[in-house]
Amino acid sequence: MMKRDGQDTIIATRNLSRTYVMGNMQVTALNQVTIDIRRGEFAAIMGKSGSGKSTLLHQLGLLDTPTEGEIMIDGVDISRLSESEQTRFRLEKFGYVFQEYAILPELTALENVYLPAMALGLSQDECVTKGVDALEKVGLAERADHRPRALSGGEQQRVAIARALINKPKILFADEPTANLDSASSKQILELFRALNRDIGQTVLMVTHELEDADIVDRVIWLADGEVVEREG
Amino acid sequence: MASTTTELKVSAFLAYKFIAKGNRGTSALTILIMALAFVNLMFTTSVFDGMGDATEKQVIDTLYSNIVIEPKDDEVYIKNPDSVVKKIIHVPGVIGTSAQYVTGATIAYEERSGAWSIRAVDPDDERTVSLVPDMMIAGEYLSKYDRGEIIIGKEIAGGHGGSLEHISLGGVVVGDTVEVTFTNGVRREYRVKGIFDTNFIQSNQLAYVTEKELESVLGIHDMASQILVKTDTKGEEGRFLNQFVELGVHEDIKPWTVYAGIVATLTQSFSVLNTLTGAIGFFVAGVTIFIVIYVSTVSKRRQMGILRAIGIKESIIIRSYIFQAVFYAMCGCIAGLVIMFAILVPYFIKHPMVFPMGNVTLLIEQKAAIVRSVGLIISAAIAGFLPSWRAVRETILDAIWGD
Repeated sequence: MMKRDGQDTIIATRNLSRTYVMGNMQVTALNQVTIDIRRGEFAAIMGKSGSGKSTLLHQLGLLDTPTEGEIMIDGVDISRLSESEQTRFRLEKFGYVFQEYAILPELTALENVYLPAMALGLSQDECVTKGVDALEKVGLAERADHRPRALSGGEQQRVAIARALINKPKILFADEPTANLDSASSKQILELFRALNRDIGQTVLMVTHELEDADIVDRVIWLADGEVVEREG
Repeated sequence: MASTTTELKVSAFLAYKFIAKGNRGTSALTILIMALAFVNLMFTTSVFDGMGDATEKQVIDTLYSNIVIEPKDDEVYIKNPDSVVKKIIHVPGVIGTSAQYVTGATIAYEERSGAWSIRAVDPDDERTVSLVPDMMIAGEYLSKYDRGEIIIGKEIAGGHGGSLEHISLGGVVVGDTVEVTFTNGVRREYRVKGIFDTNFIQSNQLAYVTEKELESVLGIHDMASQILVKTDTKGEEGRFLNQFVELGVHEDIKPWTVYAGIVATLTQSFSVLNTLTGAIGFFVAGVTIFIVIYVSTVSKRRQMGILRAIGIKESIIIRSYIFQAVFYAMCGCIAGLVIMFAILVPYFIKHPMVFPMGNVTLLIEQKAAIVRSVGLIISAAIAGFLPSWRAVRETILDAIWGD
């Protein structure tokens, strides 16, 4: 387990870079990023548009592969994982909430939530029990049988959060989770993250461009032009 | 093993949900396209099989029955045909025999004449091996003691819209008298008692007189050029042949297929055509299914990216698309069979296609249906696999947020 400053570090990056090749040009989205995220921390990645916030989250969430640098997650050097091991890693240790309500329209709220549990091999009964629990945590148990089209944007995002929580992830990644929501729903989602972090010690790493979100998180990692420019708590 | 079961379970769950809760119009259209692809594959084959079947039936029902017993190579006639018949008539499965003479003759009417084959039969026996007696379009069939009377096929009579009108007698009707010159030079006049139409060009070129009539012409008695044997099943002629030999029949015994050169040629030609149209049909069906599934898969690209992002294995996603494609193909095959059996087959029974070998309806062979169904389902599985496999090859970010 990686320890830093006496704290239990769950994510550590060293000199992480991501360069995209666009025609003849090389675009550096991340440049030598070194950060640590503590277990149980609620951290935000903030910065201007194009600063590399989402790119950093994608590297940490194993949705993309860095050009260079190291990522240690929960003590595992993820560069050593094969593609299928990374898939399993994401299933067992990560939860994702995307900006768009990325839930499947053909499945009910409950089915969307328990799909990752089903993929872990849990029985139908266990899936339903855990799914209902997760929906209760986000306050949507009574809408378990509704399909996404019958839910509001805020409710769909809460279903996505319940799905992210179903396998008790080590880290919950959220990529601008309130960008498409009205202010009341946004507040509800952020309070939900805060409560999960406070009540069950859920590590949350969230990308946001809303400055006021900085008040609700433990720490902000500021990015500019792909580099960490400042750290604030 | 447990992990494979889990993967199959999740794949089946996703496939079921995508089908059951997806766009019903899209599902219905996909199944309709699959059904039409199946009908396209089956139709030509059914026509060819129907033609082959019609030809075989005609050869058996109006020309040679199931088995033909002929004189040994060095003899012209079978002597004492009754003794041969007695040996085989009680063999289980033998349902009729007809000993008959076959001779060539020139038949003339007014200014027109032509050479045709005449069969001399015992009308009662002939009814047990041939359907010609039931196919009279004018007059009547022969009676046992008829003398001086002849029945002729419509291609000989002419005037009935036959294919060989130009070499016919030009419109002989029942009651007319024709002059027949036999190969031994004997010339006799016969009253036309009946005209038959079997819908088969070959048997419509035959003429029939009674056995006693021809014996008087040829000056022979108690002989036969051939004995036709009717059995209760088709396709087991070989078994009967062996039994007849064991019972002491020393003449040449041949199944109907030996005489049905036209059937062999047709079957061979149909087989080549069938293979060609089948291969093209499979290709077209495969491409059609591929396009349908591809479009569906491309539209679900983002969804596939999300599934991968949350940790669903690529193999689960690919399999769910294969399951969907196979489901659509199976429904398509079933719908195609319903279209064939409920619409096309009854239609062609009511309005058969007219060919020289007779009226042809669609014949759906179980084997052909199974082969084509399995082929279509395999095509669908490949068509489900390829686009989903391609889609999971791209990066998760491209799948979710790409163009």
